[in-house]
Amino acid sequence: MMRRGGVGLLGAFLALAALGAFADQLGIASFHLVLLGSICFWIAQATSWNILSGYSGYFSFGQAAYVGVGAYSTAVLGGRHGVNFFLTLPVAAVLSGLLALGIGAVAFRLGSLRGEIFALLTLAVPFILAAFARINRSVDGGQGATVPVPELPAAIGSFQQFQFLLALLVATAAVAVAYVVQHTRPGAALAAIRDAEDVAEVTGVATFRYKMLAMLLSGVLGGVAGSVYALQIGFVTVESVFGLTIPLFVIVMGVLGGRRHWLGPVIGAVLIVTLQDRLSSYGLDAYNLIILGGVLALLVALAPDGLYARLRARPLVAAGTLVVVTGGLAVLRFWGELLDWLVVGMLAASLAAIVLGTPQIAARLGLRPTGGSVPSSSAASGDGAAGGDGAAGGDGAAGGDSAPDGDGVAEPVSDQVTVADALAGAVAGDGAVGVGVGVGAGDGDGGRSVPDLSGGKVLVECRQVARYFGGVHALEDVSVQIREGELVGLVGPNGSGKTTLVNLLSGAIRPTRGTILLDGQDITRLPPHRIAHVGMARTYQIPRPFDSMTVRDNVAMAIMFGRTPTSLQRARPMAERHLRTVALEHLADAYPGSLNLHQRQLLEMARAIAANPRVLLLDEALAGLNPAEVDNAVRVVRRIHDSGITIVIVEHLLRVLNQLATRLVVLDRGTCLADGDPQTVLNDPAVVRAYLGRQAHV
Amino acid sequence: MNVIQATLSGALIGGLYALMATGLSVTWGVLRVINLAHFGLILIGAYLTFQITVSWRLDPLLSLVVTVPALFVAGAAIQWLFDRLRLSEFNSLLVSFGLLSITIQVVSNIWSADFQRMPAEVNPYATGSVTLGRLVFPITTLMAFGLALLVVAAAHVVLRRTFAGRAMRAMAQDRAVAGAFGVDHRRLSVLLGGVVGATAALAGMVFALANALTPETAYEWFGTVFAVVILGGIGEVVGTFASGILVGVLSGVVAAVWSPATAPFVLFSAIILALLLRPQGLFATTGGVR
Repeated sequence: MMRRGGVGLLGAFLALAALGAFADQLGIASFHLVLLGSICFWIAQATSWNILSGYSGYFSFGQAAYVGVGAYSTAVLGGRHGVNFFLTLPVAAVLSGLLALGIGAVAFRLGSLRGEIFALLTLAVPFILAAFARINRSVDGGQGATVPVPELPAAIGSFQQFQFLLALLVATAAVAVAYVVQHTRPGAALAAIRDAEDVAEVTGVATFRYKMLAMLLSGVLGGVAGSVYALQIGFVTVESVFGLTIPLFVIVMGVLGGRRHWLGPVIGAVLIVTLQDRLSSYGLDAYNLIILGGVLALLVALAPDGLYARLRARPLVAAGTLVVVTGGLAVLRFWGELLDWLVVGMLAASLAAIVLGTPQIAARLGLRPTGGSVPSSSAASGDGAAGGDGAAGGDGAAGGDSAPDGDGVAEPVSDQVTVADALAGAVAGDGAVGVGVGVGAGDGDGGRSVPDLSGGKVLVECRQVARYFGGVHALEDVSVQIREGELVGLVGPNGSGKTTLVNLLSGAIRPTRGTILLDGQDITRLPPHRIAHVGMARTYQIPRPFDSMTVRDNVAMAIMFGRTPTSLQRARPMAERHLRTVALEHLADAYPGSLNLHQRQLLEMARAIAANPRVLLLDEALAGLNPAEVDNAVRVVRRIHDSGITIVIVEHLLRVLNQLATRLVVLDRGTCLADGDPQTVLNDPAVVRAYLGRQAHV
Repeated sequence: MNVIQATLSGALIGGLYALMATGLSVTWGVLRVINLAHFGLILIGAYLTFQITVSWRLDPLLSLVVTVPALFVAGAAIQWLFDRLRLSEFNSLLVSFGLLSITIQVVSNIWSADFQRMPAEVNPYATGSVTLGRLVFPITTLMAFGLALLVVAAAHVVLRRTFAGRAMRAMAQDRAVAGAFGVDHRRLSVLLGGVVGATAALAGMVFALANALTPETAYEWFGTVFAVVILGGIGEVVGTFASGILVGVLSGVVAAVWSPATAPFVLFSAIILALLLRPQGLFATTGGVR
């Protein structure tokens, strides 16, 4: 696949270059060369935009800034200072690259940057530059700037050929860059950023660096293409380069063609530019923006994934439509010329692909909808069900060694009610939920051989950690140590600060004060991806997979961007091993969207252990599961722990923790209430009070 | 003295920014729709005011009788469309960008891309001004300020005190939960879209009174008005008003002290700085619409 795309690109470049070089001999009219040059310019622009906005999901409305900087670099240096055209190209590249880095450095440092804010910030940039160019007489001063025609190389006959070949070169370079980015680590990183940025960061992706890389590539390519554009239009004005038509065009092209694939913007650019050309040749310039705007609105509403995906799904239909329509028109010859037929054919093909690829439309038209070949989740893992049901009714199976009989809530043996009992009673009272909380049913025996803790060295240490949100003290001077080999249960009522602690440990937020050490290294101020590399991994309470990637690639991401960078090809087989650990290998090719909650939580765990962590933070990994699924998940957690990973698990099911954890840490209202082995902690009066309120008899 | 005049004039012009921005801010905050087509509605409002005044020789203020209902319907229709399509916040930005380009092209096909200005004999407001000592305030900017104050005050009272306003705030916080408690989001959003459209009619009229019109002006409002929305805090009507005035004063003073052309430069630099320091907006409080 990868090689085929590259060969195709090279072939297309050579063929088109030959077309341009031998235009005279082939009898190609110069206005066709101008059109081809224009197509190439827009391919370069749309691709430049797509490397940032399509791949990373940060939509830029500021493409005009790069075009403007590039065009004015060439116009001012060439026109006013007599600098050779070819020397202005690197200047344009450097200037617009610096501009892009500047925008990125400001925008991506914003605390709460969201896609919309980024879009509007980038929208403002061309306005600022336009104002600057208007005031500054040495740039424009409101008169525009003429671009001198450079001396042509001897081998090239006409200016039209020259500008086309130049634009073709830039466009090919842009597409090649997009191609390489998509198929290498930056592409995977940007896709992860688009799907779930903070998860990508926690998984080990240096998100800021990759976003800046995308900005830089986008800026440099946009600027160089802008220089060529200056040459093509010959006279640069503020309106022609800083206007909103350029961002509108590139956005429409990207959305039309498809933003996730390097070919998408190319398809979009070819379609839009040829359509524009035909419209103006029939004197319909006045409807240009109406059509573009309409195309954008309709596409976003109906086919937001773009043409590339639709054409890919129905290549034969599209090609057939193109041949039939264009061929038919050519044979009938009642209207138009070759270009008209071609444009009509391409439009018909796109329409066919969109209509057939949109189930709602196809159904309404009475057509057979596409196969919808998303793998269904029929293979759901219900295998643990039998074991779990075995414990139905008799909740006494769990936690047998020291706790009183499970029925004993009403008639406590001693004065002390343990939290485990109280909760179990409450749950059983509800009826349905209580049914299979018989944890450890798989292992049979309740008492688990607890690994020797005393020898383990301190792996994670929180020293006096506090975190405030405004006036809310989510955590207040919490000091906790976690030793190697432990499986620590982190419990506490809702709002007690458990998830805050997990977020602090994983670096998602920083403590207001205090220090966090991981394996002796201070990680308090490290960005999350560095913390991940030191050896911390986490899961999310609500699973957050990378939706555009298969289950296998989700796991492979953590390996690729782990401590030792790995290629995707090598990471995939390793990912399968981790999928086997969580018993999800049969779904390796499925997309996360087709998984149920339990499977998604298992995927979270597989992704987390794939980073080869020292410590794994499980944030309510069992929440919302049915009893059989809980059993299965507990087995998986044990398997992970047995493989030598220290685990901190946030969980409400105390019976589970009673079985699983080697130690319990109880948080209440942001402070550490109790810390010790499960039985002692659960019998602690203070803990009982925190869970059941003051009224509970202690 | 020069600076005082510039400050006060800027504050009054800021009223127009606030008038344009309030609707945008409320739809963004409450309906989670970033409606760039709002600029298109303002543009249509301005051109309709121009056309009605010129063709029928009416007082420009009377044109509101036509433009307010017309843009109410248009605004409601756009909102209905967004609701039907169930667009995400970001996709609404794209779709409405498309709608805006269509509007601008249609306007320029009807009224041409050239500058159009209401002739002085039908527009008594253009030249009038109020003099206070050595300070001069054009009537149009006073009107803009007054209307902005009225709209913001009304929006504030409606959102705070009425049942519909409370329902909208509930919707802004969690649409699904609000729906479960009987808030009919579809009817409310269409209604709100209509009211926002009506404010576009007001803004368009005020703009047409004082300025020459060209379809491209819609693009020029873009930057400034969004700056006002973001600085004011999304969905915060009072904050929007305050930031409108702040932005007006800033550009007025910069234009007076340096040159008008530097105003956007300074303005956007200030906005980026402000966003760096206070990303939730300068005037955002926790008690806003959101």
